[in-house]
Amino acid sequence: MPSALALRPADVRVVDVPPAAQDGFDWTDAAVLAGTEAIADGPLSAAAPGIDRGTYPLDILGRFGSVGALGVHLDRHGARLGLSIAAMQAASRACGATGFLMWCHDVCGLYMEQSGNPSLTGARLDDHAAGRSFGGTALSNPMKAFAGIEPILLRARRVPGGYRVSGMLPWVSHIGPGQYCGAIAGVTGPGDTISHEIMFLLACDRAELRPCPPFSGMEGTSTWGVRVDDLFVGQDEIIADPARPFIGRIRGAFILLQCGMGLGVAEGSLDAMLAVEETLGHVNQFLDDRPDTIAAELAELRARVMRLAETPYDGATDYLIDVLDARAQTSELALRASQSALLHQGARGYLMSAAPQRRIREAHFVAIVTPALKHLRWEMARLSRETLPTAEGGRA
Amino acid sequence: MSDLAPADGLGPWQQFLCRACGLIYDEGEGDPDSGLPPGTRFADIPEDWACPICGVTKADFEPYRRRAPVAPMPVSVAPQRRPGVVIVGGGISGWSVAEAIRAEDARVPITLVTACDGGLYHKPELSVALGRGLNPEALRRETGDAAAARLGLRLMADTVAVGLSLERHSLRTTRGTLAYTHLVLAHGARPALPACLDPALCWRVNDLAAWSALHAELARGPRTVAVIGAGMVGCELAEDLARAGHAVTLVGAGSLPLPDLLPEPAGRRLLTGLEGLGVRYRGNSLVSGLSRTPDGLTTLALADGTRLSAATVIAATGLATPSRLVRGAGLAFDHGIVVDPASLRTSGPDIFALGDCISLDGQPCRFIEPVAHQAAVIAHAILGREHAGYAHAAPVIRLKTRSAPIALHGAPVAGAPWYVVEDSEHRLAMEQRQGGAVTAWLAA
Repeated sequence: MPSALALRPADVRVVDVPPAAQDGFDWTDAAVLAGTEAIADGPLSAAAPGIDRGTYPLDILGRFGSVGALGVHLDRHGARLGLSIAAMQAASRACGATGFLMWCHDVCGLYMEQSGNPSLTGARLDDHAAGRSFGGTALSNPMKAFAGIEPILLRARRVPGGYRVSGMLPWVSHIGPGQYCGAIAGVTGPGDTISHEIMFLLACDRAELRPCPPFSGMEGTSTWGVRVDDLFVGQDEIIADPARPFIGRIRGAFILLQCGMGLGVAEGSLDAMLAVEETLGHVNQFLDDRPDTIAAELAELRARVMRLAETPYDGATDYLIDVLDARAQTSELALRASQSALLHQGARGYLMSAAPQRRIREAHFVAIVTPALKHLRWEMARLSRETLPTAEGGRA
Repeated sequence: MSDLAPADGLGPWQQFLCRACGLIYDEGEGDPDSGLPPGTRFADIPEDWACPICGVTKADFEPYRRRAPVAPMPVSVAPQRRPGVVIVGGGISGWSVAEAIRAEDARVPITLVTACDGGLYHKPELSVALGRGLNPEALRRETGDAAAARLGLRLMADTVAVGLSLERHSLRTTRGTLAYTHLVLAHGARPALPACLDPALCWRVNDLAAWSALHAELARGPRTVAVIGAGMVGCELAEDLARAGHAVTLVGAGSLPLPDLLPEPAGRRLLTGLEGLGVRYRGNSLVSGLSRTPDGLTTLALADGTRLSAATVIAATGLATPSRLVRGAGLAFDHGIVVDPASLRTSGPDIFALGDCISLDGQPCRFIEPVAHQAAVIAHAILGREHAGYAHAAPVIRLKTRSAPIALHGAPVAGAPWYVVEDSEHRLAMEQRQGGAVTAWLAA
């Protein structure tokens, strides 16, 4: 299996950061959105088919970073989650895979900043927020583990000065040589019981990256299996110890940010429907989910997401259910819109080069990436149940 | 229904509905617990017989006609393509609306969404069931699946309604999104637990599922039970638990139970009745926290610094209507879903509400008596039929404490003075007056 180190000579990418991306340029709302849209409509639209087949668009992500699209959700840049989601929507409208990479990058920045760990919040975070360095998130498994859906896969044991972590995660995106990701491991004590969990920044160069089998699309997300064997995690890498309260605090923002992907895929699908309205409208009028229907739901849902983005750290259960509901609806809308777009375009949308068939796969990704539509519903049902006494105590 | 066939030449067995609590007296089944064998005609019941649930007399019953049976429609397992009526809530209110629609129309598609299993039971029985030795099976009158087949509706059990879009007439649930032509909100209220009470350490009895779990714990044998809150439910549960053989401490904020509702002489009679059954009343006490002791007991920390331990703790600290769903959709909400008092329409188009989740003039009304009337009004409106409309009247409040039954009529106002009309060994009668007119009266 190639390790990250072995990959480096052949595959390392040097990101050209334009001078304007250095500190001190314009990250106002209007400038960020305009800059993001210009990149999305131009180079990203052109690159989207290639990204779907396997090109990892670090250069484009670097440009997004330079215009602020990867940093404005952070407290240090005004905690503008709504703007972050709008930027992700603009990118996903052109390319769902890139929208997903932005989300991976955004939440990784969120972990670093919210950690309060000086070694993660200084220059390292500045580079990350501006798209000069890159990292993703390996929280799919622990998020499902915390919801009671599956067991946690990485295990840590306490050693002097930190922890030793071992285990294998099946697929982690937006990682590669020189990159990193947020990860969570269960700390085992005597008898192999898990006492609590730690969250840490995992440097890919210290892990083995294993290629994944080919996916049906979105191949340019640099997704790997990650294996660590007795990896030392010191204080400089710790994001949270214990991890659960930290995850509880950022969970709303983590999930809400994802809405940008679904909104963008739905909007791109709407574009595809409208593109053929003049020529095919006379027959398309017999289809379900016409552009006006999709546009109305998209506008309502987007407005709701933007309202929720104003208070991303609201800890109330009702707020979290609102977020899960909005995220679930973005999945449902992206699925319906992408299917309808393909039906609207007919054979031309079915061509291998056509965006509608690509968006079908992107929309399904939106609905199955953690938290998947089924997980969201499971979690809403769980949060809606009353807690009653049990033999073990706590929520069943 | 009874298997016993009528042989007295008076025709089929009749049913009679308790207007106070909704219990149905079936002549074929009788009331063996009270000495009425199966086959006892209503007319033959002695005048001193009382409703086994709420204690009202024969005069408070009215003839009940089971609705004309409608041929059930085959229910498709797949989601219905044609939107129809969607009902949220599988309690008495939700099922009452489904029954009322089916009584008039066999075809309109109905989907009932409920967070529980949808089984039909009679909620007022929950606060008197332990003392009567009932178990969950005895309380469940019909399974949700059987009722769904009987009424030809689609039941979505264990499904939570999470989002509502008024313009698109769609309801998002944890099992998918439903389109509706009309939406009926009947999801009830939920126990309002103060933040200082750990929900994992105290039971609340507001539905059959919770009651069943509590029943399983209590079935292991007599135990010490603390009931927090001496309102109606707290008092009824305390009596019921004592009748079932448990050692009960009732913790109340006032010096007497039910201080908000009852004047002092009535509260004293209630307390005497409860103490006669062995209930220990701990008055003037507020609980500031709960904790588990190593031996499995739960300790109640009281505000005055003292402590009290019990094997089982039940909180009866009131109800509140969940507001997330309706507020998120922009529906008017004021201590409950705001409805027009005559039509029971909410502020949203084609959306109705009834039962425990609504508020009329800012006041929730959590009694069972009005539900059937409300359901009929909503069913007629949905089907476009004429109906005189709902006329709200304050229901008679009956405390199901057989040790000291109390009935309150009219509109009692907390804090307003009460006047003694009669105070004898066997009867207490009091009234509230406003401008010379009697506005509320009680009998204990």
